[in-house]
Parts: sequence; C-alpha cells; structure tokens
Amino acid sequence: MPQTTIYSAPPRSPLVPIPAVATRDVARLFGRSAALAGVSLEVERGRMVAFLGPNGAGKTTLLRILATSLRPTFGTAHVDGIDVAERPELVRPRVAYLSHATGLYDELTAAENLRFAATMLRRSNPADAATHALAEVGLEADGARRVRGFSAGMRRRLALGRLLLGAPSLVLLDEPHAALDAEGAALVDRLLDQWRDGGTTVLVATHQADRITRLADGWARLDAGVVVELGGAGVTLPAAAPAPIPEPATATAER
Amino acid sequence: MSGMDAIRTDLGVAWAIARKDALSELRGRQAAGSTLFFAALVLLLFGFALGPDTRRLTEAAPGLLWLAIVFGGLLTVARLHQLETEDGALDELARYPVERRAIYLGKAIAGLGAMLVLGGVLLPVVAILYGIDLLGAAPALVLALVLGSIGFAAVGTFYAGVTVRLRAREVMLPLLMLPVIAPLLLAAVKATAAALGGDPLGELASWLQLLAGYDLVMLLAGAAGYGFLLEE
Repeated sequence: MPQTTIYSAPPRSPLVPIPAVATRDVARLFGRSAALAGVSLEVERGRMVAFLGPNGAGKTTLLRILATSLRPTFGTAHVDGIDVAERPELVRPRVAYLSHATGLYDELTAAENLRFAATMLRRSNPADAATHALAEVGLEADGARRVRGFSAGMRRRLALGRLLLGAPSLVLLDEPHAALDAEGAALVDRLLDQWRDGGTTVLVATHQADRITRLADGWARLDAGVVVELGGAGVTLPAAAPAPIPEPATATAER
Repeated sequence: MSGMDAIRTDLGVAWAIARKDALSELRGRQAAGSTLFFAALVLLLFGFALGPDTRRLTEAAPGLLWLAIVFGGLLTVARLHQLETEDGALDELARYPVERRAIYLGKAIAGLGAMLVLGGVLLPVVAILYGIDLLGAAPALVLALVLGSIGFAAVGTFYAGVTVRLRAREVMLPLLMLPVIAPLLLAAVKATAAALGGDPLGELASWLQLLAGYDLVMLLAGAAGYGFLLEE
C-alpha cells in the first residue's frame, strides 16, 4: 500500500492522530438539487459509526464520495488524511464499499466473480482468496453456480464476500442488512464485529437505527443533506466547524 | 514499482477484464449470435440490392464487408460496456485500485477479440455471396482485418465509455464514433480492395501503414482519456 499521505485539512498537533475520515463542508449537487449540503465531521480510527436518517438524507451520497465513486461539488473529504478527490488512486486500496447494487456479473459463477475481484485487488492467489471468501459468507456450495440464478440475498452475501478479499482500513456499508434473512443478517453482524476487532474503521448507512446502534460506537443523523445530530463515541465535529443544525421540530419548539 | 512491473501489472489486469468480458459474451450466446446474424444479413441485403452482376459485387465487396463489420462492431463494443451497467458493475470496476489505462486496455482487448470473430465469420460469407477468392489474398486480407479491428476496438471502447451512462447511448454511440472512424474505414476498405485485387498499384503497404498509425494514435488517446469517463 502506498505510504504517501496528503493531508490538506487544517493543521493539527502531531500528537493528535489523523482521523480515519474527515469531511469539511462536503456538498454534492445533482443538477439543482443538493444531495449533500455541507457535511463536516470526523471519525476516529477503528470506530464503527452509523449514519442514520430517512431516505434522501444524503447517507449514500456521503459513502459514495468516501468510496471515490463521486466527487464532492464543494468541500473536502479525507480518508486516512488523503483527499479523496485529489488522490483517489491512493484512497481506493484503503476502502471497501458495499453499495445498494452488488456490482456482480450475472454470466460468471460466484467463484469467478470473486476470483476476478481478487485479481483486481492484486491478491497473490486469487483462487484461494475466492474460495476462502465464499466459505466465509456461506456460499461454498454455490461457487460453481452462475450468479444469474442467485436470489437477492445470495447476491448480497456474495458482495459481502468481495469485501473480504482486500485489506481495507475503512469499510463502508450501505444498508448491509437489506435483502438478507436472519442468518444473513447474523453474518453481517459477525463481519462487523470482525472488522471492529481487527481495528478497521466501519461506517454503516442505514435507516434501521435499532439494529446498528446496538453495535456501533457512535452515530450521526443526517437529514436533507446535513448532519443534524451526533451521538456516542468516535464521531465528532471538526474543530471550528459550525454546530449541527437543530432538527426542525426542536427549532420550532424553541421559537 | 518499476516500469516493467507496472506494465506487467497493467497487462495482468487487462487480461482479467478481457477474459471476464469474453466469458460473459460467450455465455450470453443470444446477443453474440444475433450480432453475427445481423452483420451477415446486412451483407445479404446489400447483395440483393446490387443485383446479380458479379463484377459489380466483386468491386463493392471490400466496402460492404467493412460496413457490415462496422454495424456489427457498434453493437459489440456497446454491449461490452452494457455488461458493466448491470447492477452497478461499472462503479465497482472503477473503484478497484488499478490503473485506468489497464481497464481501457482490457475492454479494448475484449472488443478486438469480438471484432476478429465477427470478421472471421463475415469473410467467408462475403466470399460465398460475392464470389471472391479469399485464399490468394489471405495474408494481406488478414492483416487488414486485424489492423482495422484494432483501430475500431480502440475507438469503440473509448466512445462506448463516453456513452455508457447516457439514456440515448444506442443513438449517441454511432453519432459520435462514425465520424472518428471515417479515416479507418477508408484505409481498411482500400487495403482490403488492394489485397483482393492483387495490389496492382503497389498501394497496399501504404494503407496498412496508415491503419497501423491510426491504431497507435487511437490506443494512446483512448488509454489517456478513458479514466475521465469513469468519474461521475
């Protein structure tokens, strides 16, 4: 993994560790509508943080920016001190992302999909890595089947298996329990524990707050593209960043 | 990483992508089969349109062969990118920590393979329909086919990347691509005609050189620009 770090966020004491994730006023416009309207937060290394909020809150957009799939329209986002827009090629080896879409190839078998991913992630032995990942997600008996015949839950498991092929320092999960049965959901919980125990930073976007907040160290609630509430440990506002905007209900009550 | 290591890594990535695309294409036989059938049908219809005059058919054969290859090739390069639009695969591909030029090269190799299969099927069809002797012209003809296919795959891969996220991609791909491949089409038709006609004017080598130069320029430009197409 490249050792170069480019940290252009405000200077900080060398005694203060660089956060795993730092965003400053991150905004993303799609046409005239803002999916994100200025998100500033920092996540400590090795923490599991949940991004909560209703549909359209901006959770997925934020994860996609951190995964280098989208560029922020305004503001900056850093992973391990590296600007995701300036040096995405240095960020990509550090990040694993499970999106809504599984990104699988229907005409390839499950094992071929993972072998391809392992090759792209430059694993020295893609076949072994794929076999191991299939076993981890309980699909070892289905490795030779084409993905076209898989159920939504099996596709999700296979996509989770792909996350196990790399050695990321940051794992981004978008609605990881979606489409999974009880056994699959337990698998996700086990993987979350595994990552946390291994010191990997995990960000989970979900609107199923109950399940994730039991596992997460901290949480950030987004609404209409801004952070409206932070809680727990591991996620903070950056120094000198504006305070979160009060929730509309609270603001009305105060008036 | 040294220069040689980087090249080796890029080639490994490109080969993995090309292999993946080839497997998908072979297993989704319907699409590949219908492209071949469509291109052969184009040749048959042109043959009917030109009538039974053998001399006229022979003269028109190089141009009609390349038109059929272009029509079939447009469908092929578009489909190789559409594979990536199913269930977010393009985003996933773009997130892998690999060089963008390696992704481009892999897609171009897959496109080249498909183009060569297309050309390999259409050549005998042309020979049968238009009464052309292929055996005498085989080496030069194959060289023209390979060089023309490389150029088409190089340009097609780039423009398929440009249009893959567009709703009107089926219309936009030929609109953007056909003007750019006009020099390639001209050189390929001239080289094929020279090869089939025994090269009486000694112009075959010049057309082949032009094709090789076009291929090189387009491959370099495609590799340099493809990364921007993966950004959203």
